[in-house]
Amino acid sequence: MLKTLLTLGLIGLLAAALLSGVHLATRERIAAEQQRQALATLNQLVPESEYDNELFADRFSAWIAGLEAPSTLYRARRDGEPVALLADVTTPNGYSGDIRLLIGIAPNGDVIGVRVLDHRETPGLGDKIELQRSDWIRQFSGRSLGDPPGDQWAADQRGGKFDTLSSATITSSAVIQAVRSVLAWYANNRDNAFEIESEVNAE
Amino acid sequence: MNDSAREIWRQGLWDNNPGLVQLLGLCPLLAVTGTAVNGLGLGLATLFVLVLSNLAVSLTRGLVQPEIRIPVFVLIIATLVTVVDLVMQAWFSGLSRTLGIFIPLIVTNCTILGRAEAFASRRSVGEALIDGLAQGAGFAAVLIALGAGREIVGHGTLMADAHLLLGEWARSLELVVLPEQIGLLLAVLPPGAFIGLGLLIALKNRIANIRAERTRSVSDPSPQAA
Repeated sequence: MLKTLLTLGLIGLLAAALLSGVHLATRERIAAEQQRQALATLNQLVPESEYDNELFADRFSAWIAGLEAPSTLYRARRDGEPVALLADVTTPNGYSGDIRLLIGIAPNGDVIGVRVLDHRETPGLGDKIELQRSDWIRQFSGRSLGDPPGDQWAADQRGGKFDTLSSATITSSAVIQAVRSVLAWYANNRDNAFEIESEVNAE
Repeated sequence: MNDSAREIWRQGLWDNNPGLVQLLGLCPLLAVTGTAVNGLGLGLATLFVLVLSNLAVSLTRGLVQPEIRIPVFVLIIATLVTVVDLVMQAWFSGLSRTLGIFIPLIVTNCTILGRAEAFASRRSVGEALIDGLAQGAGFAAVLIALGAGREIVGHGTLMADAHLLLGEWARSLELVVLPEQIGLLLAVLPPGAFIGLGLLIALKNRIANIRAERTRSVSDPSPQAA
């Protein structure tokens, strides 16, 4: 009995030691890799040459109506002047669950671009929101809250001005409405969006 | 030893293939095989865990009392899988995101516990090593075949996203087999996994039957006269 306990304990100790070793050896690399990936995504919308601040660290959380809370917003600046606001948001209205989007807005309220970070939409239909699969997501560039006006900020299948992916009206609408929600939030917070204290102290 | 090694290889790759005959580890097998590269990635990770767990189980086989062998196996397998998961996050982060939850789920792959219990805990370290390689390779082969089939029929490509696993040079490995418009969506969706696996099993049985037939007719040239 005692011997059995000892064996089990010993093997447990060995396993714990091995795991701690591997954890210590990979910890820094995993953190660096995650940050590199997050930054690479942000750079898809605002190239590195256009800003000079620590983009990844200059961020805050916000509650945006119509989206899963909280959203994370990053700010790109050059010589202290605002260059872009990048919103990492999640809409719960996808056809099969959440769609995570990155939405870039210029200080004047125009959309710089939209990218899909994560989704579970139907392969072959709803997954055309990915840039690798179709150009659909590019139609938002240059739009703003008043262009198209009010009711027309919707999929054309639902009387709006935006292209609808065929057989994926729900997916299309979810993305369109998410972009609109972020634009509406920005319109209300335009004056202080670039003033809000960053939540991360510069490391 | 040589004969027994050959027999272990034959068992793992064909006669007792974990994916096609034992039907073990179906959850990852069906879930990640949307593309050939996903299949290859999970296949390699499973192979690696299987070899190490077989080695560890065989090495400790004299020391572990029978009544605690299952907890010890589970502990060994869970530790190894966590190691693989961390290493993949650090060095193959792109693939690690694609395979996501299925790496930690290797813990629940019955093939690994099954080989530990049925083989590695009773055999020498050398045999356990070969068995891990053979069963792992057999499982990986099924993952790759199913992934390749579903990818060709569903997306019309082969080896897309290979750079996530093999590095930037592998981008050129992607083949466009069919124009995308004629891709059959069903193949990439979950039902496609079941249908594909069913077809693979049928194909394997058909080949095995034909071979059995041939051996029979060789050993007994005039069955009608019997």
